[in-house]
Amino acid sequence: MASTEASHRERGDVASPPREWRRFKFPGSLYRWGGLLLALVFLSYSVAYLNIPLERFINMFGRVGSLVTDRYYPPEIDYVTDPDYLASVVDTIQMSYLGALFGLLMAIPLGWFGSYNMTPSRRYVYPLARFMTMSARAVHETIWAILFVTILGFGMMAGVLALTMFCIGFAGKLFAEEIEAIDMGPVEAIRATGASELMVMAYGVFPQVRVAFTGIGIYTWDVAFRAATVVGFFGAGGMGWYLKRNILQIETYRVSAILLSIVVLVLIAEGASAWARALVAKAK
Amino acid sequence: MASAQATAEQVERILAARSKNRLFRSLFYVIVLALVVWSVNTTIVEDTDWKRMGSVSSVLESVAEFIGFDFGLFPNLLEPAIETIMVATLGTLLGVVICVPAIWFGALNITPFMPITYPVARLMMTLSRSIHEIVWALFFVAAVGLGALAGVLAIAVRSVGFIAKLSAEAIEDLDHRPVEAIRAVGGNEFQVFIYAILPQVLPTMIGVIIFEWEINIRRSSILGLVGAGGLGLVFFRQLNTFNYPGVTTVIVAILILILFGEIVSHLVRKAII
Repeated sequence: MASTEASHRERGDVASPPREWRRFKFPGSLYRWGGLLLALVFLSYSVAYLNIPLERFINMFGRVGSLVTDRYYPPEIDYVTDPDYLASVVDTIQMSYLGALFGLLMAIPLGWFGSYNMTPSRRYVYPLARFMTMSARAVHETIWAILFVTILGFGMMAGVLALTMFCIGFAGKLFAEEIEAIDMGPVEAIRATGASELMVMAYGVFPQVRVAFTGIGIYTWDVAFRAATVVGFFGAGGMGWYLKRNILQIETYRVSAILLSIVVLVLIAEGASAWARALVAKAK
Repeated sequence: MASAQATAEQVERILAARSKNRLFRSLFYVIVLALVVWSVNTTIVEDTDWKRMGSVSSVLESVAEFIGFDFGLFPNLLEPAIETIMVATLGTLLGVVICVPAIWFGALNITPFMPITYPVARLMMTLSRSIHEIVWALFFVAAVGLGALAGVLAIAVRSVGFIAKLSAEAIEDLDHRPVEAIRAVGGNEFQVFIYAILPQVLPTMIGVIIFEWEINIRRSSILGLVGAGGLGLVFFRQLNTFNYPGVTTVIVAILILILFGEIVSHLVRKAII
């Protein structure tokens, strides 16, 4: 090593000193380790900022275990097979598909207006539609539920409307992305025949996205059902109300039974939605 | 002649199938319509307290109460907003840590012992996804007490399902040649994972994690409703004191926060891919 350096110096080319091979070269390695350091600093700072008691975190596992075994086990299965509760399950299912249906019906035009390639006006309609879907999505479904309950009063109508808003945000974005990914050939062909924008949509775009839209619609229902299990928590009808009541009454065995029933129902809904989507994909 | 007859038969068959299809389809639509009418009747017509709601103008009046801003609230919003972002970030990171066994057990091609570990991972993912974040937060508030820790744990557990499912699918689709190459030069299981599997799935995983972080901001903004800090607590207070312009202000703050998250996630994903 030293002798080669000496020979380099003798010849006068100090520009290329021998180096060890490194995977990350100088500026890149600095950014990398600097980024990692920043992330660690942020992490520890936020733990301190949020006053997270780490000692509680460590003995949490034992506490969660004892909480589950002492207080939540065994679940009171009789409670969830009660006709009143089963009626609320039916209400929840109704709310979820009504919300999904209304939301999808409104998401289709929003998806059209909010897709960059098909929107009637890129200047005005596109940002507006994007903003509407974004705000419907950004506000959490429980906040929608609370807002509709304060405006319209307790009941399933508030739940249906909250789920509608949720589905608009969820499906509107996916619909817009789906329309943006279409083949523009048929669209141009139909435009060339002098068709109006609506006809272009109906004959050029819709046949291309029909199957995808159906799949997204079924998936939206699945997600809406999961949300529907808790909108009742804030007074918007369905199973959530039973959950809230039993949590407030500290009827923990009933709470665990309700949670168990939610898991089972969501599993059934997921299975049904996967089956229906496979059916749609096959029918394509 | 024969071919013409065959074509005619074919056309007839297609037409018959189509009319049969049409019958099924209209039957399907009729059933859906009946279901919708029935459930509109039970959920909206019968279950709504029309007297409390009053007329259209009184509904509009109560909507109008929400219009406006409460500028006095601004100084009280910054800290909860930072808290919300931090809860989302810590929750996502912790979720990634919890994810590791779920991904390892849940990818069909690398799961250590198929009959036991695969169902365990699937159960973890389903439990995490099927229970709503509000319920998880309630559970953790009961376990570790009020405060941000419950929110972080709820977010972490709730993120596991999504991250683990997509990452496990990415691992299932990976290219097997690098794995064999690392095995062939004598790498052990851990080295195979570090040098052959991880580089292939890392871009997908980072994309998924950032997307989940974006969703988690939305989730952590409501966890205050059940006692886990952040903007949700401010929202709850404004609502309970009937300060409706304040409620609007908090919602706008949440919107801005989510917009910020979306921009950051867009930039990061663009930088990675």
